[in-house]
Amino acid sequence: MAVRANPNLLEELKHYGADDVTKCYHCGNCSATCPLSKEPFIFPRKSMRYLQMGLGDKLKGNLEPWLCYYCGECSDECPREAEPGETMMSMRRWLTAKYDITGISKLFYESWVAEAGAIMLVALLTGIGFYWFGMTKGGGDFGIYAGPNAFLPAHTEGNFFGLGWNVHTFDWIMGAVLGGLLVTNCLRMWWFTTGSRKDMKVPLGTYIKHAFLLPWHFITQKRYAECDKKKPWIIHLILMLSYLTLLILIMLFLHHMHAPETHWVHIFGYASTIGLLGTAAYALNGRLNKTETHYKHSHESDLIFLFLLLYVGTTGILQHFAYRFLGNEILANFMYIIHMMGVVPMLVLEVPFSKWAHLAYRPYAMYLAAVQADVIAEREGTKVPALAPQKQMTA
Amino acid sequence: MVKESRTGVYICQAGTGAADSVDLQAVAKYAEKLPGVVLVNVIGNNPKLDPVSLGEQIRKEKLDRIVVAADSPGYYKPAFVRGLALAGGDPENVMLASFVGNGAGAQGSTERAKAVVNCAVHGVPYGLAATPKDKPVHPDTLVIGGGVGGIQASLEIAGAGKKVYLVEKFGTIGGKMAMFDKTFPTLDCAACILTPKMVSVGQDKNITLWTYAEVEGVSGSPGNYKVTVRKHARRVDEVACVACNACSEICPTVVPSEFDAGISTRKAIYIPFPQAVPNAFLVDEKSCLWVTSGGKKCGACVKKCAKEAIHLDAQDEVVEITVGNIVVATGYQVFDAQKIDRYGYGRLPNVITALEYERLTNASGPTGGNIVMKALKHNKRKKVDEWVFAPENPKPKNVAIIHCIGSRDHNYNKYCSRVCCMYSLKFAHLVREKLPDANCYEFYIDMRAYGKNYEAFLEHIKEEGVHLVRGRTAKIEEADGQMRLKGEDIIGDKVLDFPVDLVILSVGLEPVGDSEKLAGLLGIARDEDGWYAEKDYNADPTGTERGGIFVAGVCQGPKDIPDTVAQASEVAARVLKSIISGRMEDSRNALSLADIEASFRPQAQA
Ligand SMILES: Cc1cc2nc3c(=O)[nH]c(=O)nc-3n(C[C@H](O)[C@H](O)[C@H](O)COP(=O)(O)OP(=O)(O)OC[C@H]3O[C@@H](n4cnc5c(N)ncnc54)[C@H](O)[C@@H]3O)c2cc1C
Ligand code: SF4
Ligand code: SF4
Ligand code: SF4
Repeated sequence: MAVRANPNLLEELKHYGADDVTKCYHCGNCSATCPLSKEPFIFPRKSMRYLQMGLGDKLKGNLEPWLCYYCGECSDECPREAEPGETMMSMRRWLTAKYDITGISKLFYESWVAEAGAIMLVALLTGIGFYWFGMTKGGGDFGIYAGPNAFLPAHTEGNFFGLGWNVHTFDWIMGAVLGGLLVTNCLRMWWFTTGSRKDMKVPLGTYIKHAFLLPWHFITQKRYAECDKKKPWIIHLILMLSYLTLLILIMLFLHHMHAPETHWVHIFGYASTIGLLGTAAYALNGRLNKTETHYKHSHESDLIFLFLLLYVGTTGILQHFAYRFLGNEILANFMYIIHMMGVVPMLVLEVPFSKWAHLAYRPYAMYLAAVQADVIAEREGTKVPALAPQKQMTA
Repeated sequence: MVKESRTGVYICQAGTGAADSVDLQAVAKYAEKLPGVVLVNVIGNNPKLDPVSLGEQIRKEKLDRIVVAADSPGYYKPAFVRGLALAGGDPENVMLASFVGNGAGAQGSTERAKAVVNCAVHGVPYGLAATPKDKPVHPDTLVIGGGVGGIQASLEIAGAGKKVYLVEKFGTIGGKMAMFDKTFPTLDCAACILTPKMVSVGQDKNITLWTYAEVEGVSGSPGNYKVTVRKHARRVDEVACVACNACSEICPTVVPSEFDAGISTRKAIYIPFPQAVPNAFLVDEKSCLWVTSGGKKCGACVKKCAKEAIHLDAQDEVVEITVGNIVVATGYQVFDAQKIDRYGYGRLPNVITALEYERLTNASGPTGGNIVMKALKHNKRKKVDEWVFAPENPKPKNVAIIHCIGSRDHNYNKYCSRVCCMYSLKFAHLVREKLPDANCYEFYIDMRAYGKNYEAFLEHIKEEGVHLVRGRTAKIEEADGQMRLKGEDIIGDKVLDFPVDLVILSVGLEPVGDSEKLAGLLGIARDEDGWYAEKDYNADPTGTERGGIFVAGVCQGPKDIPDTVAQASEVAARVLKSIISGRMEDSRNALSLADIEASFRPQAQA
């Protein structure tokens, strides 16, 4: 198949934050420095090449950006200040836009005004919607915060999974839509990177064999731990686990959270709130003051994301505090709506269309990479051994 | 009637705001008042000028001439040529005014920048307009630095019967070349070329050689400089010493040998190497026990000398000389490889630098030219085990040579050091020649074989079975006593990770540490990398801003021996021209902006 070069690719990638790609002179220092770059996936230099040459199709089918965790070592050592680490980050943004079937992601990445505008619009609709729901379908009394008669009832009596008209109903609907979008995008990702490639005939067994990698990488982010710097991994893991814990608690154990007596749920809840806010504040400080290499360049979407996280975390605390410690249910309901005005846009917009999508793409890419590595090893006979210097490169 | 010209001046430079940079706004204000100038625009260093919108502006302002002023205005010229053509103008009428090219950039001189713009507005090259007055010349010459460049210049000038003072900082002349075994691309024996020249310097009646000496002060003006030179006390009478080595044998103080790039040792009383010129011992005042103790300790060598040549109490001598011309040939130092920790230099004993390898492979070096690895040896005096080279040490099986150490790297020196690709090939050749069973890997980014016969040299070395790997090495690590090299083989599309026994770092060239001080004394400028700035990159690469001060060899910028020698001879010719004619050009700085303006006045009236 003829390879087509897209002369505007570099310009296009600029919207996603790749600014210094042309400086690269292909010394290969980055690929050799990167602790994660291993055969058959050697990066980031080759991706720099694809970009310089405008090989958009190659880039679209490239899993490598997702295999990079942006420890920043390649950028630190790059003799040309070509910022290979940031380029990988930009390619992840660009790929997110490519995977997204709706085109919304592209719009957001290329215009932060559009992203911020959409967030505000969804926030506004959420606020109005929740109030309307509370007045009509819900408890109708703004003075009641928790329990079956709450203004915004969390779950209906006797129905653990909250089927029936309550707030959780929205959770599940939203979850289904998001899940649908993510699955569609993941399918596209599969098609670009694996399915459409003639040299990637993957037996079903190979797909099944590596399936456990999906949850494994999702929960542990083990690969991140292979970086020489461990701190970013820990920060990221705390942030992600805190978020996940809160999500589960809120979806399934909200009634315990609201109970006056102390419950084990509270311990988890408070710990993960601290974890979430602490790490998000750490990251924001890092980005604003450029404390570490991977914080040196910030795309608007990074800041919007952190802002949303901090907003949701803080309003969540206030809402809980108003109810549990002040006993002010009106204030609690008010903060609830304010809180949801952050939660809903964050979930509806950030997860499928922006930075958050990586929570699915990253583990998924690692899974696909493992699958591809098997196919390549199969094709090239046994696994390529670490090179014995005596035998290779004889001039 | 002559049609009034309408000139637009575009300043395509970003002001750095540094105190010593050109004040672009002041230049712009100045340009506005120049004859025919109707528009002055400071547009910064935008690499993507749009000819169409430039053309529109040119048409609107009815410009028929454009002056592009910048450090390197040539970058922007094409856009203006097209713009002017689009506006219906004559594309020939785009004039360039280069700040850097005419000495305003390196000096940060706003006045100079104004003069350069003024000349461009008048359509006269700055170099032509700025011709300082002639001055009488003193017939003696000072050459600073006795490397191959300084030696060559001294011999040429002295050979014409003129007096030369050659001031060398080290205990011998010869510079780096004296340390080398072979020279690329001919693989000639370096000593065979250099030693006769060194001896000639020592014997030439017209050359006064002061080694272990430094320039301390320069005053006066072109053609008549007064220079103070501090002659550090060698403490051994150069004439009486017969270099018998008796003093050195008894001396208890052992320090690393500079000449052997630190891979062997010498005593506090020493001769840098057997063929040194002057061929006499000297005392290193920093390590000699007698000197450092103020005469209280040691003094053992004095009694050993049959010639009574050792005078430990000798004092530095400060002399003042008058010279007409000064040739600066102070060469370079190599990049400090310890700055890049990941290559392990200083940590891993068998990671060595290029100069160390030159001595290792040199028949007159500490291993007699055997390429071996360092091995642990017990130092009885210090009671410690030390990693040392010795002829009987084991030989390496895998040798890696890594290019561009500290060069072409934005974290260190941005420029290419120009000689390291070629000397690395020379190294590889010596590995193949002396260790035919060893693998030799050379890791390069780009192979720069730009000189006469260099490409053929490269092809030849390739055929010798050297593995040339395109890709920079990322790091050298050690586990269980075995070093491993990690790097990308870009063409083979592999990450390499394999065992190596000896790693040679091809360190780049850097301005010598005290070059800033010397530039200050001489009143000459340095470029942004620290090399001495030439007067005009193309037309006068060996002159400086100051009349009668010339630069030759690497101190002006990285270059190989042939280029160094060629430059040195060229400088000698210029020095001789001034001496023979009795006249030389004054410094450019002697010309004020008013002088330049005055030179246009008659034209303006005509
Ligand atoms: C490892 C290596 C291998 C090389 N191999 C080759 C080769 O094979 N072929 C080739 O063509 N080129 C080679 N080169 C380049 C070569 O070394 C230079 O081109 C050459 O030495 C330049 O000569 P020079 O006189 O300008 O400087 P230098 O040789 O550096 O001499 C400068 C002299 O000035 C003295 N000096 C410095 N400062 C002062 C001061 N303030 N006052 C008084 N004296 C001072 C120094 O002590 C020194 O003696 C090699 C370079 C390296 C690093
Ligand atoms: S990005 Fe930097 S380190 Fe990587 S190949 Fe390019 S220049 Fe070298
Ligand atoms: S006096 Fe100095 S040079 Fe002489 S032997 Fe003692 S230490 Fe060595
Ligand atoms: S000459 Fe070669 S090794 Fe030296 S800096 Fe230039 S490219 Fe690198």
